[in-house]
Amino acid sequence: MKRRSWLTVVATVAVLALVASACSNDDSGGGSGGGGGTDTTSDEFGTVEIAAGEPINIGTLLVISGADATLGLDSQHGAELAADYLDGTFDATPGQLLGHDIKWTHEDDLCSAEGGQAGATALAADPSIVAVIGTSCSSAALGVADTVTSEKGILLFSPSNTNPALTGEEAHQPFYARTAHNDRIQGAIVAEFALNEQGATTMATIHDESPYTQGLTAAAAVNFEAGGGTVSVQEQINSEDTDFKPLLRSIAEGNPDVLYAPVFVAACSLILKQAADIMPDVTLMASDGCLSSDTLKLAGDAVDGVFVSGPDVTVFQEGDFYSNEFIPAYKDQYGDPTSVFHAHAFDAANVLFDAIEQVAVENDDGSLSIGRTALRDAVFATSGYEGMTGIITCTELGDCATDVTIGIFEGPNWPVEGGAKPDDPVYSDTKSLDDVA
Amino acid sequence: MASSGPARAVDTQLSGFATLPWRKIILGILGATISFVVVVGAFKTLTLPQAERYSGDFWVDQVVNGLGQGAILALIALGYTLVYGILRMINFAHGEVFMAGSFISFFFADAYLESGFLNNQPYTALLILFVVSIAASTLVAVLLERIAYRPLRNAPRLVPLITAIGASLFLQNAFRGFFGAQPRGYPLPDILRGSIELFGIKVSKVQLLVFITAIVAMLVLQAFVNRSRTGRSMRAVAEDSEIASLMGIDVDRIVVITFVVGGILAGIAGVLFALTFEQVQFTMGFKPGIAAFTAAVLGGIGSIGGAALGGFVLGLLQAMGPPLLLTGFGIPSPFSLKDAFVFLILILVLVFRPGGLLGSGEAEKV
Amino acid sequence: MRAEVRIGAIAGVVTIFLAAVGLIGDFTNLNLIGEQVTFAGLMLVLPPLLAGYVATTPRIEAGQVIEATRARAAMVGAVTGASAGVVFAAFVVFVDVFGVERVRAIFLNISPVLMDFLLRGRPVLVAAAILVAISTISGTAGASYRVLPDAARRPLGTAVWVTLLFGFLQRIIPIALDQLDVERDWLYSKVTRGLTWPGAIIVAALAAGASVLKQHRGAAMRRAVSIRPSSDGGGPRLTPVNALLLLVGLAVVFVAPHVVGSVISEVLGTIMVFALLGIGLNIVVGYAGLLDLGYVFFFTLGAYSLALLTGATLNTFVGSSAPVIALDLNFYVAIPVVVAIAAFAGVLIGAPVLRLRGDYLALVTLGLGEMIVVLVTSPWLTPLVGGPQGMRDITNAAIGNFGFRDPKHFYYLAFAFVALALFVSWRLANSRIGRAWTALREDEQVADAMGVSTTSYKLLAFAMGGAIGSVGGALFAVKIGSLTPASFTVLVSIQVLGIVILGGIGSLPGVITGSLVLVGLPGLLREFEEYRLLAYGAALVAVMLLRPQGLVPNVRRSRELHEEDREQDKWAGDIAADEHVAPGISPLGEGAG
Repeated sequence: MKRRSWLTVVATVAVLALVASACSNDDSGGGSGGGGGTDTTSDEFGTVEIAAGEPINIGTLLVISGADATLGLDSQHGAELAADYLDGTFDATPGQLLGHDIKWTHEDDLCSAEGGQAGATALAADPSIVAVIGTSCSSAALGVADTVTSEKGILLFSPSNTNPALTGEEAHQPFYARTAHNDRIQGAIVAEFALNEQGATTMATIHDESPYTQGLTAAAAVNFEAGGGTVSVQEQINSEDTDFKPLLRSIAEGNPDVLYAPVFVAACSLILKQAADIMPDVTLMASDGCLSSDTLKLAGDAVDGVFVSGPDVTVFQEGDFYSNEFIPAYKDQYGDPTSVFHAHAFDAANVLFDAIEQVAVENDDGSLSIGRTALRDAVFATSGYEGMTGIITCTELGDCATDVTIGIFEGPNWPVEGGAKPDDPVYSDTKSLDDVA
Repeated sequence: MASSGPARAVDTQLSGFATLPWRKIILGILGATISFVVVVGAFKTLTLPQAERYSGDFWVDQVVNGLGQGAILALIALGYTLVYGILRMINFAHGEVFMAGSFISFFFADAYLESGFLNNQPYTALLILFVVSIAASTLVAVLLERIAYRPLRNAPRLVPLITAIGASLFLQNAFRGFFGAQPRGYPLPDILRGSIELFGIKVSKVQLLVFITAIVAMLVLQAFVNRSRTGRSMRAVAEDSEIASLMGIDVDRIVVITFVVGGILAGIAGVLFALTFEQVQFTMGFKPGIAAFTAAVLGGIGSIGGAALGGFVLGLLQAMGPPLLLTGFGIPSPFSLKDAFVFLILILVLVFRPGGLLGSGEAEKV
Repeated sequence: MRAEVRIGAIAGVVTIFLAAVGLIGDFTNLNLIGEQVTFAGLMLVLPPLLAGYVATTPRIEAGQVIEATRARAAMVGAVTGASAGVVFAAFVVFVDVFGVERVRAIFLNISPVLMDFLLRGRPVLVAAAILVAISTISGTAGASYRVLPDAARRPLGTAVWVTLLFGFLQRIIPIALDQLDVERDWLYSKVTRGLTWPGAIIVAALAAGASVLKQHRGAAMRRAVSIRPSSDGGGPRLTPVNALLLLVGLAVVFVAPHVVGSVISEVLGTIMVFALLGIGLNIVVGYAGLLDLGYVFFFTLGAYSLALLTGATLNTFVGSSAPVIALDLNFYVAIPVVVAIAAFAGVLIGAPVLRLRGDYLALVTLGLGEMIVVLVTSPWLTPLVGGPQGMRDITNAAIGNFGFRDPKHFYYLAFAFVALALFVSWRLANSRIGRAWTALREDEQVADAMGVSTTSYKLLAFAMGGAIGSVGGALFAVKIGSLTPASFTVLVSIQVLGIVILGGIGSLPGVITGSLVLVGLPGLLREFEEYRLLAYGAALVAVMLLRPQGLVPNVRRSRELHEEDREQDKWAGDIAADEHVAPGISPLGEGAG
């Protein structure tokens, strides 16, 4: 009796399996969207149809919860301000693009691979999504979100991924681009500053368990050695640790001239404080992960004379648009900015809007047809666009910030809330990817 | 028991597997490997070429660093040991008890810095900070006992441990919800800045304060447990709670007092930790909590002297172990393996000397 | 009356806690039904409601159950609710008088948004009075629910929770309906995003109807599908009715990903990965009674060894490089190797530590879990596993050209492994090995004396559990296609433990339920990401205190947890049977205290 019913079960399952696999027509590629669906242009990944009166749906895949939410929300605000500025003014009333509103669909990348996958899947499942601004964290994009969106032909345009691998030849996905600078450039400028301006010959680095800090220190070390310096040690910490004294004491044994520790606020503040005691003569350097008003509060006097690198905001300020219009509007709508990548998000959104304007076919009934591959190609063809973060020219591998200006700021004159004035960089250089090791 | 018959049958089935002295073989290999690593690693590190070798000063400074960290670990470890001694349970949420004191006292410290009180009246201010931290830690410890542990006093021993894990997660995230995820800067009074020379060794004033306070707290605790009436009752309950209750000791009261004492020590440790690192965050309790538990086990859980000794030994091992044992093998960034090192020690102690350095040995269940 | 006031006051404090932690202020715009029922409002009403319900728990005096009369219950509920309301209103008044901004300097979530929601522009005392009134009504409602006749109570309860669940799933159900080309505007409003009122009423009516139907058929069903704990503790028996249910279930399971679409399939994939982990840990914790807090060890081991065996590449800061050990096996060849590695590792690390007493073992395993995370991140092993940058290009387990990375495809792969693991686990539980585990779990010393080789059986459990966990890790790697150490933290261990415990220690249906609840809900309700761990912690404590046998208990196991209550349970069970009360709300839970 028992055995017989098992057989029945197995047989039925087998039949069901056959039926189901026969019925299931996989939604391969063609994400023909909402309204008409009659237009079958030759675009490999189909077109997005936007009916008259319907909004243009743009996704965001940024980190909007947890400890890193300050980064993601700031980018989200930057992108939203770009929509606000479509009508030429920052008035908290979003403008229109080709007579259509912009609708944002926000997903959270959780700053992790799992989060990137879940969020990208959710966005890719919505056929009305035209493109995605994101991700915040490189680990959410690399081999995860960039692959998911590229398989569906959806452009993923990141305002803050700086990991070099994303646009490296082996890993680059065809629908991935970014307006954030490539950390190979930041690392090179840090190394250049240490070598030439500080006259350093030996450098030690500290990174934590995040791919961002590891990539940045690796880039700095490679360029430092290419410039004739010696890297004494490349140490790794856990960002939740508090007692770095034994580690710093062992780094001091190698007598480095410069200690470069581009880690995040909590660990960075602790390292700055503890290093001030243990190695008072060593020049301390950090990067944008540490460049925050929180660090000023946490590390106090220990930030004096500490050099941090980051996007040179004085470049943003050329033409006064950034400081006179953008920032006041930002503060008005969202309060104080919590990172600098709102500028990259603003640029990414604008480049995207321009590309949509170029490729969208306006049909007689007021609807729009946007070819996915065409949109991607238009973004990748961007050249000489005058963005807030500088001139934007996209390479074949998706790096749109080609000539990047990185500034070095000396504490406490940091360009953040609570930093001393003037907050101009003590050193600034512009490099392109071809210039760096 | 009904299961004896089939169980025996399975045993014959598995006898080939069971008769081999697996445990002994693996233990032997493990012991040999570790001895090799320790001896060879240390030897190689100390005989590196002059240019790559650590200086003598390096080791001295690491001893100071290790003792400073060890003092804090010892204070937290005492909380584990006390509760364990009385209830035979691991209060997994003790790290959060410590965090609560530290975090709550931050708000007072911050306000005192704003008003200038912290630097005008540093001794009074510090005293208040300790009181606040102790009060907060004690409150959390007592609430934990009342809500999460007391109803489970007679449950299987894994049940309260699971509750404790839940409570730990809950407390961390409640603090995050209340006060945010950002780290906060804990102000240091000016009198504690800088360092002094002691027997030719540079020691920071905070480290000195940590050390002295920890030692004093431990001596007071030792006296309390050995001399006072309540302390004797605690020992009686630890020995055998049923007999103690027959002798007229109110076991519930003693358990609460144990949690209070653990809370007081955690509160003291909370302020000392905050003064040392000048930073508090909702996650700050977890790692020191685990390290302190390791210290308690290392010294011999249930023993006050053991917890203190374990704390200091662990502090020293964390500061000196990675460079001493790993550098010689050319392992890059030895300190990145620090946490693995701590757990390795925990495992080794439990495997080879389950009673810990000073304990009586009862970790094995046979 | 003092007890009622006390329960009410506790509920008031809980409401204050919810407000301070952000669960009210953050969700004033999360509409569940229309614009009137928001999540924030629910948080305000729920504590007094539950307090009213708890306050009317039947008392037991001299072996007699004394239930409150209706009038009395209403009164008790009102007092409880009022007490909760007064406590919370006092807090609101205090914040208003003291100044929101000054409170907010410390408690970040006591925000103007929260106060606007609570005060709605009214003078503070009026608003406070309204809050007390709302709370009183909620308390009364909670108490009244307790004394409703059964025939009305079950459908009402079902209708309420099902409707609320639909309200919560507002991000998911519309997508699924779209996928099916079903009109959905009548159900979910595009403006509020929540349920519309007509939609909510229809859902509630359907749920209530289903509940009534179930109640009518319940008695007959119970006779047909009875689970007999005394004879067969491991799993349900296969009767014709069960077989039919199983068939329908399997059919649903099989077409599910194509019906629900890739978003829910993605969540289902994650659920199944964690279900696998749960099934594995259940062998260790549930069957053999060994508390393993470091289960992430096997998860990590499985994921990384699969990656290394199938030719994944290392991420480096400029691109990629091959790991120092690189094989290029097919997924289906690699999986047995992964399982063997994990089982071997289980024996290797288990041998020295398994003789430790339970709580020590827990801490040692926690340490092992932390160690492997440290190791895969460390610069030392970076040439092997990529360090912080991790690995990518992990196999998609393709059969021919059919890859399993796509969420809808991954579902089938994961389902196959879950089914296999369930089968193995179920067979094990009911084998002689399973009974030996039971023996050593119940009393190790007795088992030892009886000649059960405890260490060997522990090792076997550890290795089996580890092997299944490693498959979970391997599938995770296939699903994501890219590994970074950030995915492997102690939280994985705790999450899996939570699944096993919430579902019911030792119970396979429990593991499935646990993963649906603890992984599925957070996956679908990503709005609550910030509060996930808070809820986890609270759930672990609450389950252990109130219902240590879990949501879907293993019958035999729950007896063990209630050893001392056995007599009382039996008695309570009789009462439950007499009154047709589901086991879920029988006094069994209260017995644990």
